[in-house]
Amino acid sequence: MAKEPNLKEIERRTYMSYHQDGLLDIFTGVYILGFGLGIFMDTVWESGFGAIMPAILIAIVLPIWVAAKRRITMPRIGFVKFGHGGGTSKLMAIFIGLAVAGLGVAFAFTIATFQSGSRQLLDLIFQNGMLIVGFGSLAVCILFGYSMGLKRLYAYGLLAMISLVIGHFMGIFFAYILLALGTTVIAAGVALLIGFVKKYPLKGDKAIAE
Amino acid sequence: MTKQLPNNDANIHDIDRLIHEPNRLMIMAQLYVVQSADFTFLLHQTGMTPGNLSAHLSKLEDAGYIEITKEFIERKPHTALALTKKGRAAFKQYRRNIKQIADRLPE
Repeated sequence: MAKEPNLKEIERRTYMSYHQDGLLDIFTGVYILGFGLGIFMDTVWESGFGAIMPAILIAIVLPIWVAAKRRITMPRIGFVKFGHGGGTSKLMAIFIGLAVAGLGVAFAFTIATFQSGSRQLLDLIFQNGMLIVGFGSLAVCILFGYSMGLKRLYAYGLLAMISLVIGHFMGIFFAYILLALGTTVIAAGVALLIGFVKKYPLKGDKAIAE
Repeated sequence: MTKQLPNNDANIHDIDRLIHEPNRLMIMAQLYVVQSADFTFLLHQTGMTPGNLSAHLSKLEDAGYIEITKEFIERKPHTALALTKKGRAAFKQYRRNIKQIADRLPE
């Protein structure tokens, strides 16, 4: 008798296969790199880029990511729309949850700071900013890595946490760490992309898997 | 001694044979976890040959379990495959039935 199919495993495998192309890594790396560059430019030239860089990057990186998926991934392994209890809806719920929680914490913090009239908490956060970002990155990477079934996100989270903790205690400039992290993630993504393109070469209009 | 099956439980005759075939079960399970997928994607996920996959898809389409939609993405023709409501319900029922039968089997 046929066994009942393990839908969770199929869902995980489907999601993984769609992100084995390394594009997610490359564009996340570019985002981190751009963010680091914004902070660096802010510090050196007081350009004000640091504050607007995340929005600029999202506006630039997202359409390129979608186009790259269509031109590189889709012709090779085909096209899939998630959403029927699939990875994307779960991921979107996590993303919205994180955004709402983040906004809530920021709002509560602002109110508390204004009411107390004290800068102690604010100073404490700025003094330990790298530690907070480091552990926050680890938590976000574990959350996304688990929900997407991408174990390499655990490694990225761990790398971010370790480098930011080291940076905090050794007094390394935040932007340098972001630049190094971004470059590392891009390099890993490029390696994955090369492997993906070799594994699924294009033959005419169609792709064949080895 | 044979264990008597309660009347309200599924028995082996309730298993949908169209879904029970391993290749079609694989296709149905794959489409169940997504909104839609195209032929190339199913080909890679199931490991079937194009001819084999095509034949199984035709049977599922004839039964009304899947729908095939032709669309254009960046001016290129594209075929999207998705489970119909009937197909989704049939797969859910299949899972329930197979689980009930498997649960009643001795260790």
